[in-house]
Amino acid sequence: MIIFAAHVFLSFMEDLKTTLKQQIIESLNLQGMKPEDIDDNAPLFGDGLGLDSIDSLELMVLLERNYGIKIEDAREGRKVLGSVQTMAEYIQQHRTV
Amino acid sequence: MEKIVVSSVGILSALGCGMHQNIQALLQKKSGLHFPVHLQSVHAQEFLLGEVNFSNEEMAMLVGLQENMQGLTRTTLLSLVALQELMGKIDRALLRDEPVALINASTVGGMCSVEDHYLDFIEPGKRGDFIQYINSSDCGDSTERAARYFGLKPLMATISTACSSSANAVIMGARLIQQGVVKRAICGGTDALCRFTLNGFNSLKNVDKGPCRPFDQTRFGLNLGEGAGYLLLEKEEDAKARGAEILAYLGGYANSNDAYHPTAPSPDGAGAFRTMEQALKHAKLQPEDISYINAHGTATINNDAAEGLAIQQLFAEKVPYFSSTKAFTGHTLAAAGAIEAIFSIISLQQQAVFANLNFTTPMEELSITPVTDTLENVPVQHVMSNSFGFGGNNVSLIFSK
Amino acid sequence: MIKHPLYIKAACAISPQHSFGDTPVLDPVVPSEGNRFVAVDVDYRAFINPVAIRRMSRLLKMSISAAMKCLQNAGVSMPDAIITGTGRGSAGDMQHFLKDMIMMKEEALNPTFFIQSTYNAPNGWIALQSKSTGYNQTFVHRGISLELALLDAQLLLTETGDNQNILIGSYDETTADYFVVKEKLNYWKKETVASEHLYQNNETLGTIAGEGAAFFVVSGEKEGATCSIESLEIIHQPAPTMIRNKVHEVLAANGLTTDDIDVVLCGRSGDVRFEAWYNVLEDFTTQTIAGFKHLCGEYETTSGFALWLAHHIFSQASVPESTILQKGDRKEIRHVLIINHFILDTVSITLLRG
Repeated sequence: MIIFAAHVFLSFMEDLKTTLKQQIIESLNLQGMKPEDIDDNAPLFGDGLGLDSIDSLELMVLLERNYGIKIEDAREGRKVLGSVQTMAEYIQQHRTV
Repeated sequence: MEKIVVSSVGILSALGCGMHQNIQALLQKKSGLHFPVHLQSVHAQEFLLGEVNFSNEEMAMLVGLQENMQGLTRTTLLSLVALQELMGKIDRALLRDEPVALINASTVGGMCSVEDHYLDFIEPGKRGDFIQYINSSDCGDSTERAARYFGLKPLMATISTACSSSANAVIMGARLIQQGVVKRAICGGTDALCRFTLNGFNSLKNVDKGPCRPFDQTRFGLNLGEGAGYLLLEKEEDAKARGAEILAYLGGYANSNDAYHPTAPSPDGAGAFRTMEQALKHAKLQPEDISYINAHGTATINNDAAEGLAIQQLFAEKVPYFSSTKAFTGHTLAAAGAIEAIFSIISLQQQAVFANLNFTTPMEELSITPVTDTLENVPVQHVMSNSFGFGGNNVSLIFSK
Repeated sequence: MIKHPLYIKAACAISPQHSFGDTPVLDPVVPSEGNRFVAVDVDYRAFINPVAIRRMSRLLKMSISAAMKCLQNAGVSMPDAIITGTGRGSAGDMQHFLKDMIMMKEEALNPTFFIQSTYNAPNGWIALQSKSTGYNQTFVHRGISLELALLDAQLLLTETGDNQNILIGSYDETTADYFVVKEKLNYWKKETVASEHLYQNNETLGTIAGEGAAFFVVSGEKEGATCSIESLEIIHQPAPTMIRNKVHEVLAANGLTTDDIDVVLCGRSGDVRFEAWYNVLEDFTTQTIAGFKHLCGEYETTSGFALWLAHHIFSQASVPESTILQKGDRKEIRHVLIINHFILDTVSITLLRG
């Protein structure tokens, strides 16, 4: 039973990350990129995808519109938006829709 | 180069209508921030704003237009009320008979009305009363209406460089006079609070719900405000010839660009440094000559760090009194440059420097702190006023006694 | 207003026509559709950093690309100043943010549209891309926005000396929203008009909407310049006689008569309300008279397209056939006069010398 539950959780998490990657690509208009091009753990900012502070605000809008998660403090947001992995984990814990 | 003087001003801000009310509030450290009464927004009770304490109807009455408010927006009304004060110190006939410029500034024109009617605007075929506001969406609308209202045929220009707009208007007016294109210039700006701007800055997550804390380690963001401010500029000899009182000299100015990022200043303050340095050079002054800096000081994380570092670097061992008055008025955007230019003139006249309200904790990255109290009987000879905007548009003005 | 010649070293326009220089210029002529012109896209990626271009609106892409190409044409990497004029700036971004704000009831709004809606957003980007930390200014005054930028450039050259390279530009876009809104003020013709017949359809209200970005590198030095702006005048809400008098005044002030003018570029738009503003064209019987609003449509900064066309005429030493309304008898082109207007508002008169 435990193994089964973990399996469900993992596949759910994988689906969420794939959906999230698709949403990130659309929201930031990362033309030519596919979800599989984004590594779960690669940093989204700085050297990773080369995103900037305005992208981070756009990603917070993505979280609010799609998952009902409102982050008021941009500095708090930066922690959540470390990578697709950290975003997905935060969504798991805080989503309201 | 002949000296350019300020021979009249007009101001309307959250601190009040006219010079007297603004001076009293500054000296008594009375902030104008409050929850808005006139702005309609779902966020109205969330954000402290520097709203002007007049309804549109009250402002229309002040300028005698209550029967004729066709297409008149809050942006224009703020402008007319402020200009009316300025006009009190000059014979209107002089402005008609001799070449004059009206250099106005706005960031969003009549958005305060446009946003109320936009769905009607864009519904094909729909007609109605809203049509009167269509042309108010142009920034130049308030400029043209002001010229018409005061019966002037000036060289008109409207500038929009975000938060430095009206500081740029002051520079443009001075240059037109220096080169003899006009004899006098009325320069300033106007911006009314609107949902567009409030939600815009809120989308940048840099609006503080409480009173803003410029140059403070715990600062979170800005408070928005509204208002209008105008300065009458002319050559010293022309002001003297008509027996006008000289309020201040416009000693120098500079406009330069950060060329760093669409909205954020260069983190080391290089852009602010360059602008302040050029303004000093233009005024033929040394850093130690400046008695007070009315900083841009929006209380956003980025601005205050960059501006603070630039002040620290440029003024080194001799950092003058500096403060941001944004916690008094809120950030009045296109009007800020002119309103703070007028505060700089008040500083010279009153020999006072104004408190940087709400300051408690020095910033980690700075070794300097703003003046925390309003100080009177301070020798003030030269004041620098900074205005830095999106698009890296930086302006510093220097006013002298 | 201008006391000091402004020498134009390079010009570049993105417009509803092929004007960018990457394909034959004005060939073929592109017609309007449904009384609206849309600018021809160019390869924006050649001029804008790929990370930055992702979020950019069309207006930003148009203005930055025209600016960067113009600097290339002039062989200037970093201009000493950047001065622009625009009627509506990034109208599309402003409308997008405004509509989202209304629909979303002021929640969860994209900051990008707000940031880019700032009128001087193109200036900031151009400064960033060209590393230009010099003077930077944006005028937003309806139909005289570009004219004010030119006046400012002249002041600047007088202050700083002639050897400065100033990047001047104009940009405006016509969005679907704007088209609907201004229809309510009779800006556009009710009947659909083929753009090539714009001037024959001059008995009804309105014209054809347009858009574009045009940039120029100007300097106070003659060397390397194609032509110069010698004179520039603005008239607010004029009567036809005022325009006629002003044209003759400008010519006289420059020691010229109508005979010295070889080409007149006129901003006629087929709108019955403004045809009389061009009565002064009757004084130019032997000169070539050319139109341009059948090519670019109407918007606040059509003077940018007209100035680009004048520069093109001087550099080719000929007037494109597709612009000619009256064929003149001049062998040489030494002086071009631009007479332009914007709806209900202003007229500008610009004198250029080759």
